[in-house]
Amino acid sequence: MWLRSASFVLDKRLQQQEPSSFFHDPRDSAQPPPPSPSVDPMDQNPDPNPNHGISAYYQTRAEHHAVVSSDWLAQAQAAIGRGAAPPSGCWPSAAASSAVAARTGSVGGGGGKPFSVIDEFNYWRKKPDLAEAVAAIMALAAVIRSSEATTMMELEIELKKASDTLKSWDTTSISLSAGCDLFMRYVTRTSALEYEDFDAAKLRLIERGEKFGEISLKARRTIAMLGQDFIFDSCTILVHGFSRVVFEVLKLAASNRKLFRVLCTEGRPDRTGLRFSNELAALGVPVKLLIDSAVAYSMDEVDMVFVGADGVVESGGIINMMGTYQIALVAHSMNKPVYVAAESYKFARLYPLDQKDLAPALRPIDFGVPIPSGVEVETSARDYTPPQYLTLLFTDLGVLTPSVVSDELIQLYL
Amino acid sequence: MPDVQALVNDFVLKLKRRKIEGSHASARHTAELLRSVISQQRMPHTNQAGALIDAVKAVGEQLIAANPVELAVGNIVRRVLHIIREEDLSSTATAIEGLGLSAGSDDDDEGQHVDHPALSAAALAAAARSTLRAPSLQTLLEDIPRSAVTPQPPSSGGDSEGKSKSADKNLRSRKLKHDVIEAINELIQDIDTCHEQVSEQAVEHIHQNEVILTFGRSRTVKEFLCAAKEKNRSFRVFVAEGAPRYQGHVLAKELVGKGIQTTVITDSAVFAMISRVNMVIVGAHAIMANGGVIAPVGINMVALAAQRHAVPFVVVAGSHKLCPLYPHNPEVLLNDLKSPSDLLDFGEFSDCMDFGSHGGSPLLHVVNPAFDYVPPKLVSLFITDTGGHNPSYVYRLIADYYSADDLVVKRRSTS
Repeated sequence: MWLRSASFVLDKRLQQQEPSSFFHDPRDSAQPPPPSPSVDPMDQNPDPNPNHGISAYYQTRAEHHAVVSSDWLAQAQAAIGRGAAPPSGCWPSAAASSAVAARTGSVGGGGGKPFSVIDEFNYWRKKPDLAEAVAAIMALAAVIRSSEATTMMELEIELKKASDTLKSWDTTSISLSAGCDLFMRYVTRTSALEYEDFDAAKLRLIERGEKFGEISLKARRTIAMLGQDFIFDSCTILVHGFSRVVFEVLKLAASNRKLFRVLCTEGRPDRTGLRFSNELAALGVPVKLLIDSAVAYSMDEVDMVFVGADGVVESGGIINMMGTYQIALVAHSMNKPVYVAAESYKFARLYPLDQKDLAPALRPIDFGVPIPSGVEVETSARDYTPPQYLTLLFTDLGVLTPSVVSDELIQLYL
Repeated sequence: MPDVQALVNDFVLKLKRRKIEGSHASARHTAELLRSVISQQRMPHTNQAGALIDAVKAVGEQLIAANPVELAVGNIVRRVLHIIREEDLSSTATAIEGLGLSAGSDDDDEGQHVDHPALSAAALAAAARSTLRAPSLQTLLEDIPRSAVTPQPPSSGGDSEGKSKSADKNLRSRKLKHDVIEAINELIQDIDTCHEQVSEQAVEHIHQNEVILTFGRSRTVKEFLCAAKEKNRSFRVFVAEGAPRYQGHVLAKELVGKGIQTTVITDSAVFAMISRVNMVIVGAHAIMANGGVIAPVGINMVALAAQRHAVPFVVVAGSHKLCPLYPHNPEVLLNDLKSPSDLLDFGEFSDCMDFGSHGGSPLLHVVNPAFDYVPPKLVSLFITDTGGHNPSYVYRLIADYYSADDLVVKRRSTS
């Protein structure tokens, strides 16, 4: 039944666009062209990000968290994409932004070079310590600065356009759209802005936007404070992938002289777990590295599972790196608590009903050997963990049960 | 205020010696003690609420440290702190409004006030109110770096207060104290009458010819069952005796006195009987912020048995048992080990517990924990004086009763 769901249609379309990656034997030409689905709403609104092999969201992650170098990624991309991908070294983001810049040129001011919110966003997201939501809000603040609007209404319309551009540029990033929504909500609903004249309000918005980086760092510290209480002496913690927040929690706990042991999963294929274990070892925390499939094997020595999140959805579930769902399932079946550390600006208004219900973030996978022809590869980079498998969420709003998330979101967007 | 200190010391000693036990008694005593602390607190001219909060915090810290397991003490301390903040806020809001109006006529105040006196007052009050609430997504982008800049939310009231006249201030200071004491009196009344409010809902939950299982003795449960009986419901109660204190026997006697059909069973017979039971109703020691329950030992077993047979597991508790803390390590941190004399007769077992033989440590050990932790997924419903609630809703109740700043008060002051 799920074959007919919209998300599957999307999946299929992506595969059809790059048939060469899966079928490149002579039979390919003999095959009749796959029947195109009669109703494909996505065709009317093509994804402005031209490179479907790798999601832009995933590139940021790879750049920030992976041990693998970016040229390795480029090679892998070339190997997977088989010519469909742009020449290595030229990141699709640059291509995309130049493509979109033409469209969004009207957003920019009258300067020599047209202002592009995408360029701005790309500039900010390259910074290793900034979360994607922060980059989005920084980019929107830059839109306000370069705007020539003279009324609040005009400004709001411009911002809306810019945030829509950002969101459609990378439909796979949850924290990007959550950040845009949060800032838009602040602009349109803040009562304090109504009492000020336009210039003051504009300045205030810019200032708030640019302070957001600080807010995000503060949020991380708050989460670390809350989370480290749950770490007790001589406990064993399982972590999955690389998460800045989880690292902050463990760092604080270690500096408070708690004695604990960490099991790191490897986090294939970009092996972010290697980097995580490396950084933990530098703190003097005993670390053990597991391959991803050894989670169930070692779960009985684990006292708690700590994961980060790319996005927290309305149900209270999380969207996180591939493998989180199975770890949560294993932990649940062995009665181990699963704690999620996530900043509140990652709360997104999404309600995925199943794994395929989201735009998949695709990424290349290096299997070490050439993939036999006719074999498909699951390249999705993340999965959805339903709320019943999560114990608590540590956020800067406090320690929350999953059901609080929807409450917060409803209060915000009511 | 030496006599207040004496009262505090006396209470601390009683808590330490377990002279005062049970959440009702300790909650009531704490509220009364804090009331006298507040009434004897001398009020400074500025930042009165801050002074009151500091005084209450200082006393509260001692009380919490005296018996950390008696969570009701900490709950009441936080409730009182919340009351002070709330009262201060309402008086500040009215003061600002008055100030804004007078400023409109006198023209001696800030331009902002002159421009839109009512609007700015409303905005300020709204901002101040938002500091009382827990942080939310809405306030994430707003520029109130609360914890960093203003340790006490009423500081905005503090500087506007400086502008008002001294006579007015005197009046206000007395008024704040008066209001707080009034509110604490209400709180004490609530603690005393919570049983009635809980048991008012009894007929909605207990139906004709049902079989109810309860464990040990809880005053709230007793009142709940009696209230249903008074409304002419006829039902049967199984009482697990609740070893080692056997409080179930006392409950059984009380229930029979009210004319309820009662069966006493041993604790180990719970699983055997649970298939005949329609609902489990138990009391609690404390309800934690995640919806978990700290309850007399043995109740976790009952909850597991109830879950196995899909029997609703209902916890009745007054709102003073709502604790805003999370159980980090409940089996160890939130438990009390009682005297082994409840289990064994010293005379009979004295030779097993001889410290002289076997290298100084006896072969026989007795562990007598007081509490169980029941995880939230085993609880079907909480019935408090405000109604029935799901475990996942407990955080909402806590947000109503406590302010976010007070949750960590204990740790901040001890460290």
